[in-house]
Amino acid sequence: MRDVSENAIALSVNGLTRRFGGLVAVDNVSFDLPARRLNAIIGPNGAGKTTLFNLITGEIHPNAGRVVVHGQDITGLKPHQIVRNRVSRTLQIKSVFSGLSVGENVRTAVMVHEGLVSPFRSATSYSAVNNRVAALVDQVGLTPHMHTLASALSYGDVALLEIALALANEPQLLLLDEPVCGMGPQETEQTVRKIREIAKTVDVVLIEHDMEVVFAIADEIIVMAQGAILARGTPAEISSSPAVQEAYLGAPEEADL
Amino acid sequence: MTALVLALAVNGLVWGLIIALIALGLSIIFGLLDIINVAHGDFFMLGTVFVLVLTMSTGSYWLALALVPIIGFAVGLVLERVIIRPTIRQASLTIVTTFGLSMMLQEGVRATYGAQPRRMAPPIEGTIPLFGIDYDVYRIFAAAFAALCLIAFFAFLTRTKLGTWIRAVRHDPETATALGVPVVRICAITFGLGTAMALLGGAIAAPITTVEFRTGVDILPFCFMAVIIGGLGNLQGTVAAAVLLAVLEGVVTSVTDPTIARIASLGLMSVALLVRPHGLFSGATR
Amino acid sequence: MTAASISRAAFVVFAAALLAVPTVIPMLASPFWIDIAAEILIWSLLAASVNLLLGYVGLLSFGQALYFGVGMYGAALSVIHWGAGFWGGLALGILGAMLMAAIAGSVAVRLTWHYFAIITVVFSLILYFAALSAKPLTGGDDGISFGAPDVLAFGDVRLSLANQAVQYYTILLVVAACYALFGLVVRSPLGVRFMAVRENDRRAALVGINVYLTRYLAFVLAGGLAGASGALFAFFGRYASATYMFYHVSGEAVVWAIVGGTGALLGPLFGAGLLIILREVISTVWEHYLFVVGALTILVVMFAPRGLAGAWRDLLAAMTRRPPAVAAAPSPPGTDAAPSTPSANATQGD
Repeated sequence: MRDVSENAIALSVNGLTRRFGGLVAVDNVSFDLPARRLNAIIGPNGAGKTTLFNLITGEIHPNAGRVVVHGQDITGLKPHQIVRNRVSRTLQIKSVFSGLSVGENVRTAVMVHEGLVSPFRSATSYSAVNNRVAALVDQVGLTPHMHTLASALSYGDVALLEIALALANEPQLLLLDEPVCGMGPQETEQTVRKIREIAKTVDVVLIEHDMEVVFAIADEIIVMAQGAILARGTPAEISSSPAVQEAYLGAPEEADL
Repeated sequence: MTALVLALAVNGLVWGLIIALIALGLSIIFGLLDIINVAHGDFFMLGTVFVLVLTMSTGSYWLALALVPIIGFAVGLVLERVIIRPTIRQASLTIVTTFGLSMMLQEGVRATYGAQPRRMAPPIEGTIPLFGIDYDVYRIFAAAFAALCLIAFFAFLTRTKLGTWIRAVRHDPETATALGVPVVRICAITFGLGTAMALLGGAIAAPITTVEFRTGVDILPFCFMAVIIGGLGNLQGTVAAAVLLAVLEGVVTSVTDPTIARIASLGLMSVALLVRPHGLFSGATR
Repeated sequence: MTAASISRAAFVVFAAALLAVPTVIPMLASPFWIDIAAEILIWSLLAASVNLLLGYVGLLSFGQALYFGVGMYGAALSVIHWGAGFWGGLALGILGAMLMAAIAGSVAVRLTWHYFAIITVVFSLILYFAALSAKPLTGGDDGISFGAPDVLAFGDVRLSLANQAVQYYTILLVVAACYALFGLVVRSPLGVRFMAVRENDRRAALVGINVYLTRYLAFVLAGGLAGASGALFAFFGRYASATYMFYHVSGEAVVWAIVGGTGALLGPLFGAGLLIILREVISTVWEHYLFVVGALTILVVMFAPRGLAGAWRDLLAAMTRRPPAVAAAPSPPGTDAAPSTPSANATQGD
């Protein structure tokens, strides 16, 4: 598959800035994320994490700065073009095609990735697509629900389906926005296991509020506050940083990690 | 020639102020309940019919004028409860339910009141000379009264508790709920109020237009134009746009085909829709 | 029996019934009803164009009468001025409507929901007023009439629309071809994109779909359907008039589509059928049938937002005792696609 040397850069963000009116949501942010690591971005609400993701995936255009994924400049591209550059993402509020079955959901993503647009041939007649759909659904463990409407799935399964959709374009970079938000312990565990597995072959960046999850799975953590990067380091470094404790966790005495 | 143009401009102003009143009703309903009320024009029509019928039965236009908005408010409350509230969850389909309502109102009036267009005698007789033309006194009164109603409405919105609540819900329903504003009741009241304003507009306009079941169809596009060109959610803008459009149409009509003016206004409306970022990919950003 | 086989059987019966109309109706009732059947077929295409947009890509258009009108005038004018035949007039009507949709759509599909509904109605009003004032060309609201050309002239064999049965079968042929094409498209990879956009436009973009382009294609295709409807109606009435471009016609088409059930291929046919038959029946005893239509519209949105097609699916589910939510067997015509949830996207707004 991909030939990535030890010190390749998965995602490089340079001077990224986005203002909403008078508010600077993302303020001149720069960082390089090495490939083959599971990177996490944490920070209090309003720190600009989701805006940063929206800037990377083209849903919002930056006022300044550039985004480079695996050496390819994707700044200014439209969201669907960025997806074709093998960047995928999940959303904080799980987002799938709820009126379609699990199989139809994944088929949609696979067909789009394969660039199929024929207006006449039956969508179910592509055997290569059908195989890939089955494989992807199997990969996230939803095979028993193949024909279930997405709206009838449990919350944890919707999250898995969303991950399957995100994997359909064979991503090189996968952005996960609070993947375990709103999940119970069991669902969290199931999702974390899946993320770890995926991170073996795909470069993953995740935003997460659940510190237990972040410190358990992240190789490296970036802390954002007020639109800027406050600190960066391994989980051990971050948890011992007084600056992070103060800014992110409030006054030191309140911190109970 | 100039006299004619000026007279038509004044005519436009008269109509503009009445339409502003109706369009404001449409605008607050749209802004608060997020529904496109296709039946709003027919509420205007109801106003013209009610005022005519009430004037004939009570013998007094002025009494009828006072009663119609009250009836309108009641009609609005009932319709909100019976038709709007049960379908509000399918926000996109309220345009269909109100279209159904529009058919019912038109056919209902046609079946009961009749299909024949009627004219109503102006309650204030006489003319005054204006730019060399004898101008109906009632039209001047209608413009002044509509303007007064507009001022009263804005005062209501800014000075009273209810008005403040309406503005709060309009601005941010979630926060308003959190602050203890009875949002559901405010929505109902707003619909009633918007309906009352359309009927009131009809009651004011009845003596200067024909009274029949179809008049709402002509007034509706005009109200939408005012709301959209004035800027969605901008109530003062709605008033300004209504007056400006009506005056312009009056002036343009004096020199050329009125449909040209209509087309130009509609073109302007399309541009207003497109440049307004609110409509563009709303939902792409959270 | 499975739901699929029941549906297939029902479809065969229905198709046979449509074919039998010109022979059976005169035995049972006035031949006038053959024309009503033809009219239902024609108008159903206009409702189908609403359905393509609302039921498959999730856009509520209140301006499809514009493309109906362009199809109508395309057919009428090409017969009057260029001596076009039936097929030429039909083709020009459809192409004209698609061209108009291609122009209007490039702007309209930038908007969604209320704003899309408003701009489609605004565009249709602009062209309506333009058609009214271009009286020398369009005849304004009086309209223009023309003599219908032959459907087929082959040596001595001439098939004319003046023959009621020929007219009916010609219309049935064109309408059936439109539905067949529509059915192919919505089951194709392109149709998969349509439905993805309908279900969730943000996620659609995030799996790589160009949402704007997808909506645009659907809009142009819908324009073609409306154009076909208008062109057929022009030949049916030998007449074209600007009044058919008014937004009430668009609104009626929306009502037919919703009563029939959006997101189902043949839903609009049944919606238009029910309401047009209702009109004919009620209007003989009470002239205010629109009052009933209005009430019915509200009741359907309130209590059966999935329309007749939804009722049919529920019936099938009850007959085969399978919950409709998980029945994902390949579906025959008329019952395909999941229930549309047009409001799903609307709630994502800011």
